[in-house]
Amino acid sequence: MNLLRWLVFAVAALAMNFPVIATLVTSFKSEAEIASNPSWWIQAPTLANYAGVFAMADRFDVLHYLWNSFASALLGAGLSLVLAFPAAFALVRFGAGRRWLMPLVVNLRAIPLIVFAIPLYLVYARVGLLDTKLGLALILCVVNLPLVLILLAAALRDLPVELDEAARVDGASTFTLLWRIVLPLAGPALATTMVLGFVYAWNEFLFALMLTTRDAVTATVGASFFFAASGGGVRWGAAAAVMMLSVLPPVVLGLLLYRRIGQSLAAGAVKG
Amino acid sequence: MRTRRLLPGLALPALAAGLLLSSAAARAEVTVLGWPGGPEETALRAAADLYNGQDGLAEEDRVELIFFNRDGFWDKLQTDLAAGSGEFDLNLLATYAIGRYAPFMEPITLPDGAAELFGEKVLATMQFEGQQYGVPTDLSLHFMYFREDLIDQLLSDADWQARYQEIAQERLGKEMSPLPPEQWSWDDYQATALFFTKAVNPDSPTRYGTVLQMKNLLFNMMVWQSTARSFGGDWMNDQGEITVDSEAYRQGLELYKALYDAGASPKDSLSYEFAEANAAFGSGQVATMLQWNAAAADLNDPDKTPAVGGKVGTVAPPSGDAGRFTHIHGLGLGLNKAAQNKEGAVRFLEWLATPEAMQAYALAGGAPALSKDALQPVVEQRPDLAQLGDYAGQYGFVMTGATSAGALPVYELQAQHFTGYWAGQESLDEALSATAEGMEELLK
Amino acid sequence: MSTAHARDGRFLLAPLTIFLLAMLGLPLAVDLIYSLSRVEFATILSPQFVGLENYGQALRSESYWQAAWFSLRFGLIAALAQLLLGLFLAIFLAPLIDKRPWLLAFLMLPMMVAPALVGLMYRLILHEFVGVVPWFLFTYWGDSPSFLGPDNAFTTLVVVEVLQWTPFALLILYSAYAAVPAEVREAAAIDGAGPWRRLWAIDLPLMAPAMGAAFFIRFIDGFRVFDNVYTLTGAGAGGSTTTMSIWVYQAFFKSGDIGQAVAASMLLLAASWLVLALVHRVSERRA
Repeated sequence: MNLLRWLVFAVAALAMNFPVIATLVTSFKSEAEIASNPSWWIQAPTLANYAGVFAMADRFDVLHYLWNSFASALLGAGLSLVLAFPAAFALVRFGAGRRWLMPLVVNLRAIPLIVFAIPLYLVYARVGLLDTKLGLALILCVVNLPLVLILLAAALRDLPVELDEAARVDGASTFTLLWRIVLPLAGPALATTMVLGFVYAWNEFLFALMLTTRDAVTATVGASFFFAASGGGVRWGAAAAVMMLSVLPPVVLGLLLYRRIGQSLAAGAVKG
Repeated sequence: MRTRRLLPGLALPALAAGLLLSSAAARAEVTVLGWPGGPEETALRAAADLYNGQDGLAEEDRVELIFFNRDGFWDKLQTDLAAGSGEFDLNLLATYAIGRYAPFMEPITLPDGAAELFGEKVLATMQFEGQQYGVPTDLSLHFMYFREDLIDQLLSDADWQARYQEIAQERLGKEMSPLPPEQWSWDDYQATALFFTKAVNPDSPTRYGTVLQMKNLLFNMMVWQSTARSFGGDWMNDQGEITVDSEAYRQGLELYKALYDAGASPKDSLSYEFAEANAAFGSGQVATMLQWNAAAADLNDPDKTPAVGGKVGTVAPPSGDAGRFTHIHGLGLGLNKAAQNKEGAVRFLEWLATPEAMQAYALAGGAPALSKDALQPVVEQRPDLAQLGDYAGQYGFVMTGATSAGALPVYELQAQHFTGYWAGQESLDEALSATAEGMEELLK
Repeated sequence: MSTAHARDGRFLLAPLTIFLLAMLGLPLAVDLIYSLSRVEFATILSPQFVGLENYGQALRSESYWQAAWFSLRFGLIAALAQLLLGLFLAIFLAPLIDKRPWLLAFLMLPMMVAPALVGLMYRLILHEFVGVVPWFLFTYWGDSPSFLGPDNAFTTLVVVEVLQWTPFALLILYSAYAAVPAEVREAAAIDGAGPWRRLWAIDLPLMAPAMGAAFFIRFIDGFRVFDNVYTLTGAGAGGSTTTMSIWVYQAFFKSGDIGQAVAASMLLLAASWLVLALVHRVSERRA
């Protein structure tokens, strides 16, 4: 029975991670080998694709894409935390916004966000936010808010109210309390939420596709460029290498923090 | 009711937020938005380097190139232009999009030498309503690509010829013998494609006889259009009536469907575009392909495409009842109305329309259509440009209405319905009548 | 609740409220105006009021309903498959994962990969001449089906979605399964209930809220899908793989009919709210 369980686990893990594994294999083959040997095995492993990707910096500045992804995802996730943390506290402790703000934000999760993409594009074009990391970060923040608010509210509910009351007796204002007591206690939850928000923002595609052209192109969009990357056809090897570079940061984060991410996702999903 | 003032008013709060980071600061160079990912890009880079390397070039005349994704390129360019984006001074322009972008661009006056350099016919690919909107840098048309080694054997091997005749009799219902590609009609192409298809002829050396690009995508419609034209098809007649619901369009559409249904083109052809088709042909498993001229250099290069490099021949597309035709369109560069550095931009355009610039462009892999005299110094290295010029002159066509503002949506509409027919989701009648109906709206 | 607290509460909510008004309120207002106007790129700043015409056009558009139907089918089938597969894996693998929690890391990885990139990866993997799957099938079976052809594209897309997102359902259901109190199970075992009976009578009812949540979240994400479908097949032959999101995207960029694209997206918004309200009512009643 246990053997069967291991077998099922192996098949499931392989099948679910199949695209990444197959792309990883492809990224270590030379272009000529890709054309002649599509199999699992690499006849002559090479790092040429990775070297080639960096050598193409004038055309596909991969580091620039990765930096854009990193900066806008960090800013987007950070901003959503800054906005949602006080709101979550007000919601949990004072019941503020329970009637409309909370449902509104949570329900954002269920709305096809493309609805906002068109007017945002037009407004961004007017105010010079198109193709900027900040403009992208702002919308990534919107995308993240539902999840972040749910997770933070869930975490704050688990903090003991006695601490609040003790601080109040000492004459602390709401803001002192928030800053001095609640924030340090909620630190781990904030960190996990930040990581999750960062991963989601990093992986976003629709808004990155619509709102960036050059300066703020992210890794997900940049990787799709490689499918139209030369006169004679796709350079599959280079494309595979770029995709691997693009999935690396979130995947590493996921591996390092899988336990916390898993717990908070599970908690957030059921409570939200 | 006009709400002209409304949007700026609405945008005020957002403007306050945007103050920190406005990207609209005046730039000190000329920014050029080019066509990404192909030989046009490599060529433009070389030309820009040459220009920037000139002695005594002023700092504000320096050229900086930008490229974004091919996927959705025209959509994005359109929104940027309409929004009055000053992100670029010069932008890519194409014959099929000129009517749509002209309102956001400035007409230009080319130096006197331009007519001699390009010839009137080529300059016309960048004209709209009598005004010149750009410098024509590249000409795109279609070649029939074929495997020389396989076709040579077909023309000399008695067993193969017998089998070919059998297949033609059985599938096309007529007496046919193999012909060299430059003499092909669409029937010859079809018979050859069937002969080299494993599903039809188990002894075929290749898996497929041809590779069709049938993805729901406007460029694929341009490739297919040459077929309809050679049977006499057109978008509209002199009176402005839409004429796609015609025998010519039926023949062209049925040809593709017949080949696809017979298994003569890869199973996933309905998701194929430029890149996938080249990968299929480049694998050595395909005998013929109707494809853009831009693929020729890479496919015939043994280093880049080991399986077929050195064995690839190119001729003009096959002929129909009305003759032999290839879709042509020009790509070029024109002036954005919202350009922030117009003087510098115009100076670069004027330089681009000189023989020196265009020869450098050609040597770096671009595909300009140049007059015989202008081509002379580089024809050694780029014999294909002579072929390009010849074919454009002899077989080139533009559908009536294909430069209007509605041209791109027309191709999109055709892509939607024609791929629907090829996929068996719509009948031929449905596809054609829906296309005709939509085109009446778009080409009003 | 003192007035001081209420005031503090409002103050704490202010940043989020202002941000949402700017980022969503403003676009929504623009949406409303445009959906009632004739507007094209050339006249982007001077829309002309035409009333409800755009809404009528969108509702009469065959391709719009085709896209709605695609998204609905895609969302339901993919969510159901993920729920069942996730449930099976969560319960069947629980003994392994309980002892070795690090196994979860490998099952969670797919969620960390951008769906847009997964779509691109499959474009490579499924290509007949360079992809590993067709190669494998040709080598060991002599033929390979048309994965992205009109007959199979839907199935392929669902499988791609399910393989990437089953981990999400698995995670939630594993947590729910682990949270079932041990004494309840033991009590049932003492009463002589076998493992199947226990699963049916105790575990599954207790896991029901988690199953509902997993299904609903995955359905929503399936219905909204854009990234992986767009990068893998695009609109599809004859629009056969056009999802709601892709339809709106194309209507906006490609047909240039902004009013109709926006009206269609407003209808989508209204439909989403309706569904949400219904789900809300149902869950309130149960609670």
